[in-house]
Amino acid sequence: MILLDYYNRIIEDTLKQRFSPENKPKPVEMNLVDFDGVSYHLSTLEDQDAKLSLSIRWKCWPELIQYGAMDVLRREYSQWIVNPEPGFDFTLQFDLENLGADPADLVRRVSLLKRNAMAAPFERAFDAQAMAEKEDSWDPSTSQLMAIHYREGEAIYVQNQQDRVTVIFSTLFKEETDRIFARVFLQEFVDARKKPHLQNAPQVIYSHREPPLEIRHVPGLLDSESMGYITFVLFPRNFARGAVREETISRIQIFRDYLHYHIKCSKAYMHSRMRARVSDFLKVLNRAKPEIQSADKKLASGRTFRRA
Amino acid sequence: MSRLAPVVIDNGTGFTKMGFAGNNDPSFIQPTAIATRDGSGSTAGPAVPSKPTYLNAPSGSNVASKRGIEDLDFFIGDEAVANSKTYALNYPIRHGQIENWDHMERFWEQSIFKYLRCEPEDHYFLLTEPPLNPPENRENTAEIMFESFNVQGLYIAVQAVLALAASWTSSKVSEQTLTGTVIDSGDGVTHVIPVAEGYVIGSSIKSVPIAGRDLTSFVQNLLRERGENMIPAEDSLTVAQKIKEQYSYVCPDIVKEFKKYDQEGEKYFKKYEGVHSVTGKSYTVDVGFERFLAPEIFFNPEIASSDYLTPLPEVVDTVVQTSPIDVRRGLYKNIVLSGGSTMFENFAKRLQRDIKRIADNRIKRSEILSGGKMQSTPMEVNVISHKKQRYAVWFGGSLLASTGEFHSYCHTKAEYDEVGPSIARHNRVFGTLG
Repeated sequence: MILLDYYNRIIEDTLKQRFSPENKPKPVEMNLVDFDGVSYHLSTLEDQDAKLSLSIRWKCWPELIQYGAMDVLRREYSQWIVNPEPGFDFTLQFDLENLGADPADLVRRVSLLKRNAMAAPFERAFDAQAMAEKEDSWDPSTSQLMAIHYREGEAIYVQNQQDRVTVIFSTLFKEETDRIFARVFLQEFVDARKKPHLQNAPQVIYSHREPPLEIRHVPGLLDSESMGYITFVLFPRNFARGAVREETISRIQIFRDYLHYHIKCSKAYMHSRMRARVSDFLKVLNRAKPEIQSADKKLASGRTFRRA
Repeated sequence: MSRLAPVVIDNGTGFTKMGFAGNNDPSFIQPTAIATRDGSGSTAGPAVPSKPTYLNAPSGSNVASKRGIEDLDFFIGDEAVANSKTYALNYPIRHGQIENWDHMERFWEQSIFKYLRCEPEDHYFLLTEPPLNPPENRENTAEIMFESFNVQGLYIAVQAVLALAASWTSSKVSEQTLTGTVIDSGDGVTHVIPVAEGYVIGSSIKSVPIAGRDLTSFVQNLLRERGENMIPAEDSLTVAQKIKEQYSYVCPDIVKEFKKYDQEGEKYFKKYEGVHSVTGKSYTVDVGFERFLAPEIFFNPEIASSDYLTPLPEVVDTVVQTSPIDVRRGLYKNIVLSGGSTMFENFAKRLQRDIKRIADNRIKRSEILSGGKMQSTPMEVNVISHKKQRYAVWFGGSLLASTGEFHSYCHTKAEYDEVGPSIARHNRVFGTLG
């Protein structure tokens, strides 16, 4: 529907099927992808159909580790972590004969693997902000700018400040049309906040080409027409501990995919309008065709009068 | 950055198979259905204002959220079927061809983003088309894929050719050739398609109006007429379908089979156990002759219908005989099955025997007619059945898209921008206009 899910459906479906005790273990070999260039490899060990392993590969993995992704992953998947498979960054292994108390919960958590890996920098920033808020005099130099280069040419920057956390997306549009759609779309984001019932929503700032002040000093920013920067300013109420925080992290991660999904949806909508319009015009054109008059004129008696 | 796996989507009339290249099975098999809000849903797109909006009086705020989001309110696949009570259910593909482009575009939208979860801009795509698909349709597909989704590259393959490629996994196939006859039997219709070196011989394609759906209703009728009144009326179709899928097989000789059942019935009669979908009570149904009678209607259509009487082996033979003479041996030698309704046990064996019989008779007759002066080498008939038969088309696509050359066969976005939709008329594998 309108929102995208946070979990990977293929992984969820497959694991659910594999983990259910009615299905006998059998060899699996699957290569999957997720948004933002994530690749998964789901397979069983050779000769051991009951040992299922899931590996993930992601361009920005070293950065995520640096921002403490391992802590989050250990918290979520502690007993399942094994040494990464060659060519991959991180591997989980499950023993189908010993799945622990709640397989359904495990499936849900595993299908959120990508989300959890990326949650680390956000959690770190939120915690740092909470610490800073307690202090009276806060040293701005302790604020950390965490960059996650999650796609070719695009990155997320997370920065904690004393009273807020700023998340900046740099986006690169390959297509001119997409950029225009995005601009209209993002303008809506900015405008929508003016509505009274959305006052508590985080502030969204969109800037075209010009990087926001927070990241202006970062080297290697591409200066091009097709760059855009979207800034979310999160205040503590937006990431109160518990469900709100988890939801915020999930939502903000999926933002880029959401944006692109909706650009594509708007295009599809435009196309269907165009098709409807074209068929309307065709109808008009068909009506405008001159009728061919029957050549022979009839006499009152019904017979045809022919000139010699 | 290493390239991400290409996406393979096979949109069939009944079901859509989608997944990533290099895998053995599609990740999703879902009905090609879309449930939308707009009432009739047949032809109409969204409401078109009578004049462009900029002519309307300026409305003050530039928040455009007054317009609804009905165009986003839809479901596809299994969810569409589940929501069919409150939404209008549409099937955008009819007889293998895309009929409603609005719905199809939205169907793809959601299959890519919600189900496969991939950014189309990062992937190459392989789509399939039925044989004899008009090039305009192919252009429309390319237009949607490149302009709406900005895919990196696109390849549109003919389903029959992919089914041939899928058969290469079978141990019976000695050489990887793209010549052969494809028998594609899905839910709605059965096609017999001759393919010579990757080209579909369009003029010789024949279709048989017997497919999975007809088999199911035949089983349903048999059960009803025999008085299996244990089956609740609302479950009767699913019961028939289950019996067809679980117990049916093809017998070598229908008369002998009847005799076998009469003499030692207990060995052959089965029991189907079902649970009433509403009350939850369990019931049993006897499964008897329908075990071999259901697939038999491919070989003796007269037992099920009175208007279509040509048996499948005869159709296959006609197809081969109407093809160019120099490929006929190749077509007989490599008859490939694809689709769910060819999955019956011994289906391939029986088909091979029957076709062989027809071909041998013809050779014998021509030898007699020549007065014994001409001798011809016996015709080699091979019907190939393999493990991937059910999703043969998808699997063939996955195989093709995981080869190294695949990317060079695709039309890329840059080429599309240069040439326009007509690029889809050109197929690089064959180097000609398709």
